[in-house]
Amino acid sequence: MALVLIDGKEIVVNPEETLLQAALRQNIYIPYYCYHPSLSIVGQCRMCLVKVEGAPKLLTACTTYVPELPKEKKIDGKYDMKIFTKSEEVKEAQRGVLEFLLLNHPLDCPICDQAGECQLQIYSYEYGNSRSEFRFEKLHAPKRVDLGEHIVYDAERCIKCTRCIRFCNEVTKSGELTLIKRGVHTYVDTFEGKSLNNPYSICTADICPVGALTYKEFRFKERVWFLQATNSVCPECSRNCSIRVDTYKGEIMRIVPRFNPSVNGYFMCDYGRLVSERIKNKEVREIPSLREKGILEPRMEKGFYKILLSKITRKYEPKDVAVILSGRMTNEELESFKVFSLIVFGEILGDVLYITGEKDDILVKDEKRANYCGAKFFDLKFTKANENIKNIIKGKKLVISIREDIFKGIKEEQVKEILSSVEIFVVMDAFFTETAKMSNFYIPLASWFEMEGTTFNYDAHLQKISKCVSPPKGRKPFYDVVSLMLNLLTEMEIKDFETAKEKEIESVKKVLDTFKERDVMKGGFVPWFKEVKNAIPQLKNISLKDLAPLGFSAKGKKDGDN
Amino acid sequence: MALEEKILTANIGKKTSSDIDSAMQGGAYEALIKALTKMTPEQVLNEVKISNLKGRGGAGFPTALKWSFLPKEKKKIKYLVCNADESEPGTFKDRLIIENDPHKIIEGIIIAAYATNANAGFIYIRGEMPLGAKILEKAISQAYERHFLGKNIMGSGLDFDIFLVRGAGAYICGEETALMNSIEGKRGEPRIKPPFPASYGVYGKPSNINNVETYANVPAIIKNGGNWYANLGSKDTPGTRLFGLSGHIKKPGIYELTSDVTVRELIFNYGGGILGDKKLKAVIPGGSSVPVLTSNEIDVEMDSAGLKKVGSMPGSAGVIVMNETVCMVKALLNLIKFYEHESCGQCTPCREGTHFLRLIIEDIEKGEGKEGDLEKILSLCKNIMGRTICPLGDAAAMPCESFVKKFREEFEYHIKEKKCLPETIKMTTVF
Repeated sequence: MALVLIDGKEIVVNPEETLLQAALRQNIYIPYYCYHPSLSIVGQCRMCLVKVEGAPKLLTACTTYVPELPKEKKIDGKYDMKIFTKSEEVKEAQRGVLEFLLLNHPLDCPICDQAGECQLQIYSYEYGNSRSEFRFEKLHAPKRVDLGEHIVYDAERCIKCTRCIRFCNEVTKSGELTLIKRGVHTYVDTFEGKSLNNPYSICTADICPVGALTYKEFRFKERVWFLQATNSVCPECSRNCSIRVDTYKGEIMRIVPRFNPSVNGYFMCDYGRLVSERIKNKEVREIPSLREKGILEPRMEKGFYKILLSKITRKYEPKDVAVILSGRMTNEELESFKVFSLIVFGEILGDVLYITGEKDDILVKDEKRANYCGAKFFDLKFTKANENIKNIIKGKKLVISIREDIFKGIKEEQVKEILSSVEIFVVMDAFFTETAKMSNFYIPLASWFEMEGTTFNYDAHLQKISKCVSPPKGRKPFYDVVSLMLNLLTEMEIKDFETAKEKEIESVKKVLDTFKERDVMKGGFVPWFKEVKNAIPQLKNISLKDLAPLGFSAKGKKDGDN
Repeated sequence: MALEEKILTANIGKKTSSDIDSAMQGGAYEALIKALTKMTPEQVLNEVKISNLKGRGGAGFPTALKWSFLPKEKKKIKYLVCNADESEPGTFKDRLIIENDPHKIIEGIIIAAYATNANAGFIYIRGEMPLGAKILEKAISQAYERHFLGKNIMGSGLDFDIFLVRGAGAYICGEETALMNSIEGKRGEPRIKPPFPASYGVYGKPSNINNVETYANVPAIIKNGGNWYANLGSKDTPGTRLFGLSGHIKKPGIYELTSDVTVRELIFNYGGGILGDKKLKAVIPGGSSVPVLTSNEIDVEMDSAGLKKVGSMPGSAGVIVMNETVCMVKALLNLIKFYEHESCGQCTPCREGTHFLRLIIEDIEKGEGKEGDLEKILSLCKNIMGRTICPLGDAAAMPCESFVKKFREEFEYHIKEKKCLPETIKMTTVF
């Protein structure tokens, strides 16, 4: 461990880290382009040049390690190195590098998607020259090059930092990219016969410090300074990558990975990122609907729920009821389902549909829903994959499907056969799916990006999801639907419904009210858990200690919340 | 006065000098046999250390010291590399040895392998030297036939193979780490140092790299002893060097001399004087990358101490002579075009800076120079020099800076009068 004096401030440099890493870790900023914490160090951009006392020339902070000096050789009796990052010589070098980078840069900021978050703009403003002495014609290089399905490359904007190349070599290990030609004509291209189609290709656009790599799904969509950022979590697998959702006027414009060292690091997969594109094309219905005379017709909310409740509350033996739950439900939704089930059916029912798929060694997990860990924690029963749907539904009279399109890809005749014994089929989903179209009662729910909640990843890591866009009034999170139904239940007179249960409803309602006020988010997991525990008799005997095997810490830490 | 000792060129001139029989008649592999049979690896290394042999590639690093950086453990895989990617403008010494006395190089490499316990060697030869590659290939196979290469060489227990690798025409691959990348089949780009090749070289294994001429000096040192070599000529850079004379000189060619020869002696005594008996204008003493000398700066010795006095260095000992008819602007343009073309493009100052320099110098040459251009050239040089990964940036900036500083009036004349000095003549190429 070395002690370094950097611009008069003391910092500690560990043997395995470079000067730049140590400085950034200790909140001293040195500008850089080619360095990226998750990629190898190449020292190519020369932006991080600093003055090291005693060194004949400036050194790149990103490649400089600091060996510990013997006691008698320490500078001023205690330092292993003295660094200046703001001396005239360093400033001159920074100006020089920026002048060079801009020589052949098209300066097309007005039409560049990177504008507003471009390191070339930012550094030019902070460290650059106010005018250029380059009077010559700029060189032209390939523009609008399709490197792959998503990525478009502009060699004129490129500063050849090779982050994208190293990403493909070191993270995805697919090695599609290389620099070709040399000198000032150098640019990035794919190797012959290859294209940039690895499952993480869009990350290259994230790590590109300039506008050289952009992706088609966001290209020319919106100026970045108009975007509103909300932190959330990717719903597409049990990794739960931390994301930032950028919206404009209530529409999701793009999703970018958000650094979270204990979940996803710096990256996310293209599939997860493009979930926003996929949900755009899905059919939605914003009003609860009831099937009458064969047609699923929209209904006023209150009347709809009254009819529904009068038909299902304590009307069926638990053995005649099947409820299909989803790993897309947040902890709060799962919890409120248990309350709902307890009150309406007298016991906790439910099968969580366990959907798996391909995984990789980088981020993608085989569990294809976000919150299976939450479902495990709430002690819900799991059922593997779609083919068992038949077995779950067989012989049941009431079937409720929440947030899963269980009949997707199954022919209508077959569905009818599966549902032959079913008297009431309730579907609750954010989208008006194939399954929803077969239902007697359809309840629209808020989608993943339209509600608040928490989710556990495969490693029992708790994160918060946020309301990135507001849902239309009719679409609610499941817990709000439950809250609404329980309120109605207290008003309704239902035969055989024991008055003793009313007291239970009262206590549960309190819990659900705290959901509503989002208190869950304020105190983290522990206070929320305590409240739920008090409200639900089945949870009374569980202590936080019992949860330890699942990986919870008693602190109830939430990551990626900053 | 310089000595005309024949160490490197002794065997050259014979018709079949590249053949192993002819070479052995001239004493080839005697030093190897001596080293393998009568000396320990430590003794060999020590002898080279005593000789004070300095690297001949351009930087002049002490050879024995470089060898000693390789890890000592026998079990560790280590490689030797011979840099035969001679492409510095004005330099053509290695080609002479490769084409005429390849066994001297091979012998030197095997002795180095014995001294350093290396497992294999690579000779990386410039792509534009097909004849040299053919000759080396044959020489290597002949060395295998005589059991100077292969397993258990001459019963000494040393296993050593040499592989010949041909370049694909990039100047930058003469830089040691770019060369290693190129051997590995990667893009020829210099690596950041540290790690140095001695710990992370070819295929990530500890490697030592020396120039052709450096290896070719080793047999004579082993044969005659380090002391003999250390006392040859210059104290600073002992032994003989192959000086390549080119440009406006009556007798261009390679001259083997000790480094205490002065630039003036080289040009006037050995080179026969200036072509056309014109006045001498400028000399580039060590290949195109080193600062230029004016005609007043030639009374210095051709070793690093001597040339340091006039702000230059011996580099690769390729001496380029320019007489008064040379337009220095045009000459510099020719140089900077070369560096712009050969910059690998990975680091910013070299990639963009050489391009900017070329454009300004081209403008001045065309008569479109502007006031302030010379200041811009100097400030660009400052922003390139010492700020790049490898020395190519320095190599481009040093001549630019020295040309402008030492021949400033001529550059100013060009900017003001928009034409060459009257005594100069327009030429298409200088070198």
